[in-house]
Amino acid sequence: MTRRDLLAHLPGSLAGVGLLTLLADESRAAEKAAGDWKPGVGATHHPAKAKRVLQIFCPGAASHIDLWDHKPELEKRDGQPMPGEQNLVSFQGKNGNLMRSPWAFAPAGTCGKRLSTLLPKVAAFADDIAFLHGMTSKTNTHGPGCVLMNTGHALEGFPAAGSWASHALGSANDSLPAYVVLPDFRGEPPNGKANWSNGFLPAKHQGVVLGADQPIRNLTPPKAVGPAEDAATLDLLGRLNARHAESRPGETDLAARVASYQLAAKMQLSAPEVADLGRETKANHARYGTDDPNALKAAYARNCLLARRLLERGVRYVNLYCASRASGVDGLLNWDAHKTLKADYDRHAPIFDQPTAALLADLKQSGLLSDTLVIWTTEFGRMPTHQAGTTGRDHNPDGFTCWMMGAGVKGGTSHGATDEFGRRAVESPTTVWDFYATVLHLLGYDHEKLTWYHNGLSRRLTDVHGRVVRPVLS
Amino acid sequence: MVSAHVAGLVALVSLLAADPVVPVVDFAKEVAPILERHCVRCHQPGNAKGKVSLDRPTHLLAGGYVVPGKPDESGLLDLVAPSEDGEPPRMPKEGKSLTAVEVATLRRWVAAGAVWPAGVVVRERAKGDRAWWSLQPLAKAVPPDPPGLPPAWAANPIDRFLFAKLREKGLTPNGPADPRALVRRVTLDLTGLPPTPEAVAAFVADPTDEAYARLVEKLLASPAYGEHWGRHWLDVVRFGESIGYERNVILDNAWPFRDYVIKGFNDDKPFDRLVREHLAGDKVGPGDPAVEVGVAFLVVGPYDDVGNQDAAQAAVIRANALDDMVRATSEAFLGVTVGCARCHDHKFDPIAQQDYHRLQATFAGVTHGERAIESPAAQKAAAEQQKALLARKQPLVAERAALRQRPAPDADPRLAAVLAELHEIDRALDRLPPAKWWVGRTSPAPGPFHLFVGGDPQKKGDPVSLASPDFTAGAQKGYRLADGAPEADRRLALADWIVAPDNPLTPRVLANRVWAWHFGTGLVDTPSDFGAMGTKPTHPELLDWLAAQLRAGGWRLKPVHRLIALSRAYRQSSEFRPAAAGVDGDARLLWRFPPRRLSGEEVRDAMLAAAGRLDRRAGGPGFRLYRYAQDNVATYHPLDAPGPETYRRAVYHQNARAARVDVLTDFDCPDPAGATPRRASTTTPLQSLTLFNHQFTLDVADALAARAKADAGADPADQLTRAYHLVYGRAPTAAERAAADVVVAAHGLRAVARALLNSNEFLYVD
Repeated sequence: MTRRDLLAHLPGSLAGVGLLTLLADESRAAEKAAGDWKPGVGATHHPAKAKRVLQIFCPGAASHIDLWDHKPELEKRDGQPMPGEQNLVSFQGKNGNLMRSPWAFAPAGTCGKRLSTLLPKVAAFADDIAFLHGMTSKTNTHGPGCVLMNTGHALEGFPAAGSWASHALGSANDSLPAYVVLPDFRGEPPNGKANWSNGFLPAKHQGVVLGADQPIRNLTPPKAVGPAEDAATLDLLGRLNARHAESRPGETDLAARVASYQLAAKMQLSAPEVADLGRETKANHARYGTDDPNALKAAYARNCLLARRLLERGVRYVNLYCASRASGVDGLLNWDAHKTLKADYDRHAPIFDQPTAALLADLKQSGLLSDTLVIWTTEFGRMPTHQAGTTGRDHNPDGFTCWMMGAGVKGGTSHGATDEFGRRAVESPTTVWDFYATVLHLLGYDHEKLTWYHNGLSRRLTDVHGRVVRPVLS
Repeated sequence: MVSAHVAGLVALVSLLAADPVVPVVDFAKEVAPILERHCVRCHQPGNAKGKVSLDRPTHLLAGGYVVPGKPDESGLLDLVAPSEDGEPPRMPKEGKSLTAVEVATLRRWVAAGAVWPAGVVVRERAKGDRAWWSLQPLAKAVPPDPPGLPPAWAANPIDRFLFAKLREKGLTPNGPADPRALVRRVTLDLTGLPPTPEAVAAFVADPTDEAYARLVEKLLASPAYGEHWGRHWLDVVRFGESIGYERNVILDNAWPFRDYVIKGFNDDKPFDRLVREHLAGDKVGPGDPAVEVGVAFLVVGPYDDVGNQDAAQAAVIRANALDDMVRATSEAFLGVTVGCARCHDHKFDPIAQQDYHRLQATFAGVTHGERAIESPAAQKAAAEQQKALLARKQPLVAERAALRQRPAPDADPRLAAVLAELHEIDRALDRLPPAKWWVGRTSPAPGPFHLFVGGDPQKKGDPVSLASPDFTAGAQKGYRLADGAPEADRRLALADWIVAPDNPLTPRVLANRVWAWHFGTGLVDTPSDFGAMGTKPTHPELLDWLAAQLRAGGWRLKPVHRLIALSRAYRQSSEFRPAAAGVDGDARLLWRFPPRRLSGEEVRDAMLAAAGRLDRRAGGPGFRLYRYAQDNVATYHPLDAPGPETYRRAVYHQNARAARVDVLTDFDCPDPAGATPRRASTTTPLQSLTLFNHQFTLDVADALAARAKADAGADPADQLTRAYHLVYGRAPTAAERAAADVVVAAHGLRAVARALLNSNEFLYVD
């Protein structure tokens, strides 16, 4: 059964207009593939496994040793000094002794991978996930860390992975942006908009911010303009531009601007349609948790639903955030549990678990996962010690976990490892650049060839580094 | 130890070389380049990853990586070749793997006895070479006299250079632009504002050379000139009014630098003075705030102010702050990407890591921050003024509260008077200079300085002297200061070197920027990169001639503007000719004037100007198109309905980093995370949504309609004519009038105004 066949058998929301556009565009792109590679028309360097990406980002440095990376030795030596690093000074200062995770780890899936009981519903996907336990970062500060994790550069001003994907692949749906960002209800992640900046790539590759609770800006005219006036103005504008272009044959920019108003008009129709969660069944809402009494969970669940609807309609790159930047109190609004790990993660994990699991289940069941790459990221990890005088953990850029799932990914695998406590990546350390070299590889691109000249260098998402992590490929 | 190994090897190899079956390998030509390319970046003294350095053979031999004569026992070959089951080679960890040919060469070399000639040290090499065109002294270019030169093109040397090149390619230039197009082009180009309908009419009535020359003079003398060209410069110096990074706190006291730049352009301040003030204003003008504020250049870039207790991380953060200064300086003035030499010698240009670290050492005493730079007397005067204003304000605030308690306060003329006076006092308070300005702070930072191997502050390499970079040494004399020279002297020495008469880069880079801002594309179309990764000039002689003019004219820009704006090339039409486009599609050779889209600032300013609502108050604290929220980090929420207090020129917008501000951002105003040598000009559906639907557009359309009615009187036909003149500088055609009349009848003039403000004729310049 081909994907097209499969989709034809699916009921309800999937049979939208957008999806048909997507399929038509994909076949068009396939015709254009091969030969000289050109960006932006769906063509790739080599056959792609993934046609789109869902990136789930948990900002604040979600703790690898409390979520994904089981450390029996840490449990055994709870309360003892960390060998060799008794006087460790890290981001916020002095650290105390080793501190075991407050949560038990239990076997998950048929692979039996031990994962934290804090996220039981996501853990059920253990057989689909490839864990990268040897991740390392270049910085121990949230803002630059998030920007590094999204753009491959700790300094601001570089394009996000989604912008690169938009540049490389182009749009699969003319009436929606290629790169959509769904920030958390609680606000933007550390360093805000720099995380979805187009950097030096053209502005059309910027991440467009959208949310179940936040429509695209300026999508509709102010209320003072009625539909009749709006239509008449648009019609007059068309005439003005046509007359202007007539006396300037050969000016392609002018035609492009005329087309951009037509695209905008299409977006006015398709964006409200995609954001209309009222079209989802009650059962779907319940599975995601949009009706949850926890307002933060319900808001994230709405964004998960929206993420699925965007992916279904051919958006190339969806950047979904669960949590925001810090605000006053560490660990309150994001995963930055400096002082009270147990209380903080007992608050954050339930927001994340059920809605994410519902989204993953839908992608899997609908078949979209066969050509959608899902990546879960955070900016760095946390220390196996507790911070002096607290029951929280400080920042740890030397070892943490990210994971991948879906198109072209070998599920049920773990690649790389931290030491016995989770302090440092010791086996197959994996950089952000390796991670994105792999993402681009799955999208059909050689990360060294996907470049853009800027200020003296042919810039890349992977800077001057990066190797494809082949052991996680199926 | 080393020499013993080498001596032994040489002896061994000379024996083996006598054997005719072992091929001879030339170490210097064949092997060393492989090590240079793939290995030494991470395996050199000071950055010996795995405790292995490949600058000399010691570690290779001692570690058993190379067993002379026995390739199968040499671990090196296992490391760099792919494994038999297809796993990629383990080395190099970063960058490209060795090619099969390279691996075979190493194998041959080992088999031949692994000869490493005595004294040969392998180093990572700067790839570039000092014979590069931009590093040569300016050529003495003479304007050519090509055959067929039209008489009109003979007078201005620029035209002669351009015509010669066009002729070479078999191209001819367009005829003159029509007067209406020309007056709009030159007015927008020199001031960033559209001409008024009256200015258009006047020039159309008298489009003579003399009238045009007078117009150019008038525009250059207008304060709007500095606002527009100062804005160009603010792009180059990555001027931003929030600190960026995680906290991104807003800066309310950086605007004096913006005003200083605008004034500098309006006064036609010589560029060599501007460079000295940017790098060492505190040294060249101590006690004179108007000069000292120039040094804010060093600290108006983004920097990370999140405290870090981890000493190694804190050192990296400090190195990043200095890196911003190094890159901003080298790119803005010199057009070279010295930043690429932070971790290693430049890959393409003759810029050594040593050069980078000399600049870093130059700025080592500068930190981001604020400082009082007004004289004590001026500070006292400002404080007294503030006190007096506050004393006036206090009773008025009380009275306002009391008046509002009374019935129907809005009708009370006394309340209106109180509000007006309060408004005036608030404005006066706003305009008081801040007590402390965002100009940076300094400390002695005496050194000694070292290279950071691989860019890592924890890995100190060779010592670094307080000297000029070496890359212009082919054209220019350098300087070297004594170790421990005062930090302000270091910055001034660098500035002097940048503007020295024999520096080949500075005048070329500046002349090219000016050209690019006039014509849309530079003679070199990478204005901040005159290196090997940049492009070469389309007209090298013209560039050198212009650069020489600039320097000979005392580094003033206005004479260069005059030369360019008065050229026939600048005044030709933008008409598209398919045949010429087939030869030179982007019109780099200027067979036509290249049309362009308005910049984000121009779109906004021109809309407000057309509607008669542009608030021309200059200088002082900026306005905001966002709502600022701050706890321990800052957030910038774009305004849905910005009011008339935001109707000043966009250059006065408080230019925070990572703040999306609709029309400006959508129309490619850059986020000042870094320098922007050249604006993008994109076309996106988001632009269209914003320009068509934002409340701002509707407010301006309403204002434009109201103005047209007020100006033209009761007749709707006259109103439409006036609206056309205000937006396009012309009357509507009969067909346009017919189409517009229908819309006016059904929806009013506002609907037509909204269409005009979204139209290509408004958004593009012919």
